Amino acid sequence: MSTTTDTETVLVHGAEFSRRGFLATGGVLVVSVGLAPGMAGAQASGTTTLDATRPASWIEIHADNSVVIRTGKCDFGQSSIYTAYRQAVAEELSMPFSAMKETITGDTDRTPDGGGTFGLLRFNLLNLRKAAAYTREAVLDLAARKFGVARGDLSISDGVISGGGKSATYGELIAGQDLQLTIPVSGEVTAMMGLSVTGNPPLKPTSQYTVVGKSFPNPIIRPKVAGKTVWVGDVKLPGMVHARMVFPATLGSKLVEAGKVDAAQYPNARTVVIGNLVAVVSPNEWEAVQAAMQVAGATKWTEWKGLPGHDKLQDYFAKQVNWTEVPSTKSQFSKAAPAGSPAAVKTHKAAYFMPYFKHAPISPMVTLADVRPDGSVTLHTHSQNPQYLRSHVAKMLGVSNDKVVVRTYPGSGHYGRSNGGSAGSENEAVLLSRELGRPVRVQWMRADEMQWSTQSSAMLSQVTIGLDASGRIATYAAEHRGPPMQDDRPIGAILAGLPTIDAPNPDNANPFYKLATPIADRWVYGAVPAVDETGFSTYQIGERASPLKVGLRDHSMRTPIQFQQNFPRETAMSEAAALAGKDPLQFRLDHVTDPRFKAILERLRQESGWTTRSSPAPTAKATGTRVVRGQGVSIMLRDNGYWACAAQIAVTPSTGEVKVERMTLVADPGIMVNPMQLKRQAEAGCLMGVSEALHEEVTFDEGTITSVDWSGYPILTAEQMPELKIVLAGNASVGNYGQGSESANALAAPAIAAAFFDATGKPARRLPLTPDHVKAMLRA
Amino acid sequence: MTKLKVNGVDRDVTSAPDTPLLYVLRNELDVMTPKFGCGLAQCGACSVLADGEEIRSCITPISALEGKEVTTVDGLPARWAKQKGLSAEQAAGKLHPVQEAWDQEQVPQCGICQFGMMIKVTELLEHTPSPTDAQIKAALTTSGPSPHLCRCGSYAAILDGAHRAARLMAEGGAK
Repeated sequence: MSTTTDTETVLVHGAEFSRRGFLATGGVLVVSVGLAPGMAGAQASGTTTLDATRPASWIEIHADNSVVIRTGKCDFGQSSIYTAYRQAVAEELSMPFSAMKETITGDTDRTPDGGGTFGLLRFNLLNLRKAAAYTREAVLDLAARKFGVARGDLSISDGVISGGGKSATYGELIAGQDLQLTIPVSGEVTAMMGLSVTGNPPLKPTSQYTVVGKSFPNPIIRPKVAGKTVWVGDVKLPGMVHARMVFPATLGSKLVEAGKVDAAQYPNARTVVIGNLVAVVSPNEWEAVQAAMQVAGATKWTEWKGLPGHDKLQDYFAKQVNWTEVPSTKSQFSKAAPAGSPAAVKTHKAAYFMPYFKHAPISPMVTLADVRPDGSVTLHTHSQNPQYLRSHVAKMLGVSNDKVVVRTYPGSGHYGRSNGGSAGSENEAVLLSRELGRPVRVQWMRADEMQWSTQSSAMLSQVTIGLDASGRIATYAAEHRGPPMQDDRPIGAILAGLPTIDAPNPDNANPFYKLATPIADRWVYGAVPAVDETGFSTYQIGERASPLKVGLRDHSMRTPIQFQQNFPRETAMSEAAALAGKDPLQFRLDHVTDPRFKAILERLRQESGWTTRSSPAPTAKATGTRVVRGQGVSIMLRDNGYWACAAQIAVTPSTGEVKVERMTLVADPGIMVNPMQLKRQAEAGCLMGVSEALHEEVTFDEGTITSVDWSGYPILTAEQMPELKIVLAGNASVGNYGQGSESANALAAPAIAAAFFDATGKPARRLPLTPDHVKAMLRA
Repeated sequence: MTKLKVNGVDRDVTSAPDTPLLYVLRNELDVMTPKFGCGLAQCGACSVLADGEEIRSCITPISALEGKEVTTVDGLPARWAKQKGLSAEQAAGKLHPVQEAWDQEQVPQCGICQFGMMIKVTELLEHTPSPTDAQIKAALTTSGPSPHLCRCGSYAAILDGAHRAARLMAEGGAK
């Protein structure tokens, strides 16, 4: 499409900017990547990865002033890649938000950067800000040459570049040209963290922001509610068959004999066996569902017992696990008391326990895979890290990454479970498609989802707080014991006996898979003179005893590990305040030194209707049918975001029923990109936290997970929703972006536990606050 | 052959009569808004209206639906147009007030449960045009075979959406 070529290249803040040619019509700042947006074009092209060094890969500006943004990240309800990302790019370019016409996400052949969908605002956003800044600088260079004025005399406003009495839009400057800007990057696209933009192009001063900070709606909501969106489960391909898994009887059972399909009842269904992977396929989905149930009943597995049982897990952690088998991890925040610090005269010491939680997406995992005779592999799925998923699939098949394309679609939120690539169903679909030579759609059923997915790791923590004679904290010590955060081995590959990355182990070079329990909860009480925190780890529970090498596989879930460590810290802080005879909110104010914490705690006191007094409440009672009420507080620093939470709850001691009546959150995330979206995220995150606090615990016996559906793993209902008050106390002057809703999620449980203590006088040191656990706590 | 009326259109369906409606809608009729969530009538992601009453399509065989009118979220705009007697021209491009409210209030997080939520709230508002918070919560929790579950925790937004939808319906729909 070029009519002439011109290879003149200039350097713009280290990026190479060149004109590849002139165009008869249109014009684009960057090379279009030559892939049609449709799937067929992409597959036909043979190109499976974008060249990330082309800014086209991240940002593309057209002669009509429209902008396309590409990101390997995906949306799971955060909205950030459709709102915050567009706002940040518009801001760096000084273009209107409305110019951001399209966001292309996730597909491995159409997006450049890879990496997981986490830390979106904390570090991923910086890639786009830098890519946009390079782009803006290149366009300024173009304008300076065209206008014949010095760079320093140019300014940009609302997409118009002006200087020396001349002005032009981005589109006008680009029109008729095929321009390429090559920006520096580091990293590896199919690795866990993907690529990062390097160099230091000048970022727009945050004080000049006009687009960041406004409440733009999420553009993907309207097509979703209109029913126009193609969701992951909606994708169909000609000739595809439906598959249902027949998973082993326990986490350690090997296949003895696969059941046969009753051909009289299910004439079009058949069983497929690959190692210990058993599936039933049929062209008819309902036939596949029914035949899989019939085959499951006829399939024989070896027996296995190797789990402690959920009701014995805390005791198992306390007495049976060897926590010295792998090296422990000392907190970077640990410090010895300066000489002359007051000695502790009173001590609060207690153990706190977090059970396993499920990510528990509403729709179970589903993948449609198409393995072709030419060896190309295409997955239609949803993943928080599609480029990394690609590497898992390639490893399993023993092929190079460029044989695999992952296409992503909107799907059920699963809160971190696929940030290491696989969440389940992906590798099974690939193997079955390879076996059958046709596209195969694997839909996990509810029980598969509950029993064969990963879970948020359990943790047992011992907290010791020493108080000096004045009631201030002299010493804080915590020991956290739990299995590692993350096992990203795809279950399909494990069952089939095919290659995977290694399970977490002490020698794993990848920090995500090193067998270590870090101290993830940022220390926030700067006035405490002595802090000592240690994390102890172990192998995943059951893994080493399982012939399949599958135990209770762990995976990060919203605020991973920090939630497990913040709960004991904050719950213990409220109990230590009681020991000191202090109001728990004031007690925190007395020990934080960061003015941002002081500000949000003061704000929380006003906004939550807090009653300043020590706990337990004067009305506290642990027996009887009369409802008792209490208040509790918690705080967290996560990813530059400062959060404080207050819970007001009612407890009926005789029944053990806990009702959360009101939750108040105050958030200072620094720069607030989009207040409306942040409010919705914080509300929802908080309610998920209430759900975990009240209801959630993965149950298991000695062989397998027994909470197989929503009756065994209940979550919060609309009627159980408390009154919610979200106070957004943005603080743009600090100049950085704090993360969104994760802290809202994690802070609910410690505030509710503290309110329970306030209401009843009895500490709540484990979750969830189900009637059975509550009655045991009240008897203690 | 089973005769079904889906979103105002008569359809002859070849799936076996004991097939749950969900699989027929999605695989035979290409009506994709009801989602698979549990297959056990425990979550509400697959909800549709049958003669204006919310049912769970994952457990309801099509044989039980002959002669009934099935409405999914795809069919809500046409349902609203028919109820208000809108001409094709008036109805063009308009969403049902519940869908419109869900966008205006930015209700969904991931959104997978919202097809069932919108069906449930449509059923509620057709009977109770101006519901209280308690009535909305009860509709979402105790009125059906199970609560309508949202894992993302969007219940506060759903309440805002339901109230806005009630106002939009009272005003005759989105302007």
